[in-house]
Amino acid sequence: MVTGSPSTHLSHEDSCFLTARGLSKSFDGALVVDDVSFSIGRQEIFGLLGPNGAGKTTTIRMLSTVLAPDAGDVTIGGHSVLREADEVRKTIGVCPQELALYEELSARDNLVFFGRMAGLGRREAKDAAAENLGFVGLLDRASDPVRKFSGGMKRRVNIAVALMSRPELLFLDEPTVGVDPQSRNHIFETILRLRDEGMTLLYTTHYMEEADRLCDNIGVMDHGRLIALDTPVGLKSAIGDPDEVTLEQVFLNLTGRSLRD
Amino acid sequence: MLRPLSIAWIELKRFAADRGALAFGLALPVALFALMYGAFGQGVSFSATANMVDLDGGPVAAELIDRLSTFDGLEVEMLTEAEADEALDRSQILTAVFIPAGFSDRLETGEPASVLFKRRGSGGDTGQIVSQVVQGVAQDIAAQFEIRELVRSRLDGRGVPEAEIAATVGALMEQAGVAPAIAVEIRAVGEEQNVLDRLIPGVLTMFLMFAATISAASIIVERNAGTLERLLTTRLSVNQLFVGKFLASTGRAMVQALILLSLAFAVLRVGDAATFVQVVAFSLLIAAAVSSLGLVVAGLARTEDQATWGSVFLTMTLTVFSGTFVSVGETGVMGFLSRLTPNKYAIDAISDILAGSGGLAGQGPEAAILGGIAVVGFVVARVAFRTAQ
Repeated sequence: MVTGSPSTHLSHEDSCFLTARGLSKSFDGALVVDDVSFSIGRQEIFGLLGPNGAGKTTTIRMLSTVLAPDAGDVTIGGHSVLREADEVRKTIGVCPQELALYEELSARDNLVFFGRMAGLGRREAKDAAAENLGFVGLLDRASDPVRKFSGGMKRRVNIAVALMSRPELLFLDEPTVGVDPQSRNHIFETILRLRDEGMTLLYTTHYMEEADRLCDNIGVMDHGRLIALDTPVGLKSAIGDPDEVTLEQVFLNLTGRSLRD
Repeated sequence: MLRPLSIAWIELKRFAADRGALAFGLALPVALFALMYGAFGQGVSFSATANMVDLDGGPVAAELIDRLSTFDGLEVEMLTEAEADEALDRSQILTAVFIPAGFSDRLETGEPASVLFKRRGSGGDTGQIVSQVVQGVAQDIAAQFEIRELVRSRLDGRGVPEAEIAATVGALMEQAGVAPAIAVEIRAVGEEQNVLDRLIPGVLTMFLMFAATISAASIIVERNAGTLERLLTTRLSVNQLFVGKFLASTGRAMVQALILLSLAFAVLRVGDAATFVQVVAFSLLIAAAVSSLGLVVAGLARTEDQATWGSVFLTMTLTVFSGTFVSVGETGVMGFLSRLTPNKYAIDAISDILAGSGGLAGQGPEAAILGGIAVVGFVVARVAFRTAQ
């Protein structure tokens, strides 16, 4: 287990698809992300966990080129997010926490539009939209406006949009918030299938059993710092028998029981 | 260029898909047109009410009221003293004319008499006109009595009956009316001024400004919905995003402006087909300028409310300073301020095109200024947006 020191995880960075070094970001003088370093191997599902306000979303925004870090750098597929943002954007897909969709438009129109923005041609975008809607089980509802969809269906469209750029690295920021067990299970299957097809995924969630089930490695953030970094089994072993200890116990042990904003 | 066009296309598609927004967006120009037509479509004429209080009840007061009631466009409303005072207190009326008790007797006996004109503040434009009309009619009647007194004093002691004096004075007054010492000749030159020729440019500019600035606020809506952030992780550049939003905002404003102009030209007949094309072409330039201003507001705003109210504030301020509905003249502080607004150049150009003076080709300076506003606004909006990020 690595706690507060990124050195172990950076030791094999040559084989990693994503490497973050010393990432820091402040807003109005408040340090939101503080010297965060970690790396993610190809075809790995990396879980980024932490209480509300821990700095997870800000970290993802820096990794996905939306925010420039105050210090540090990230390379994705060998490209720096600071100096080669356009190249980085060709390799990533982002599924934000919000349902970032145009609700008045059909699922197909949403996918085709974002596909076009990702650089696909018209025909290519239409084909990719059909393929990805099929992938998330919504091809038969392709023409329906998104506003008519249930919460779970919207979450699946949200993921399908992120897949339109055919990314090598997919960011999934709390993709299962507010969905029923059936939809959640469908999303899990989708994530595992994507990994099996060669995709690398960075996943954030507040549901510890999800992280335990899906993630190959987990980083725990609190107060802007990366305070633990290991496999789920490694994290659990640090406080007891990994077959007895839950990831939630590990999480509370690391981040405390006080309420967060 | 394809990505900005895709942004603009999807924006217009969203506008069309949102039935509420579509109905409101299309109904607004129709409603505005209906208001203009109702207010000005039937022409403009003087119309006012003289609120009269007759405390005298004598024949001269009756004659004064009778003459006022025959004045073109003036309607006489009789009130009691209490009614008039209360209505003035409540600002239900702005003026009232009080004919005091003994008014007729004093004039009959050759003594000076007066009427009381009460008004709230200045009495308003209409009140001032009514005041002048009442004064004119009262002086006319007073002159008649002065002449009668003069004639009576000249004939005093010569045994001329009073009825003969009155008849002589009446004849003299009638003659003076037919052939006055100073005649005022009214000669019509050209056609009657069309109020719409002045109103349409102002309404069109204000409407374009509302439509463009409010739709430009869609950037804030996208930021709140998360779609903006999603777009920024694609290969779309911020410049392409802004060009797309600019095109969408301009396009949406033009759709609504076309409805307004089509109705105005078809129903009110403010110009021919060639004029229509020229007005539409110049409207495109106005829409581009105000779309850029809308993007500035959207770039500076942090919330949807700030963007919406910022747009309303900007539109109303520029409308007032430009003298869209109330002339502010060319000189003084207001004249100077009006030259700082895009509205003034837009209104001047559209007015010229509608009046047939210079046409589209003659609006070079105005076009240059509006084009400059479009470019500078775009750059400022882009910088403001980068700062907000």
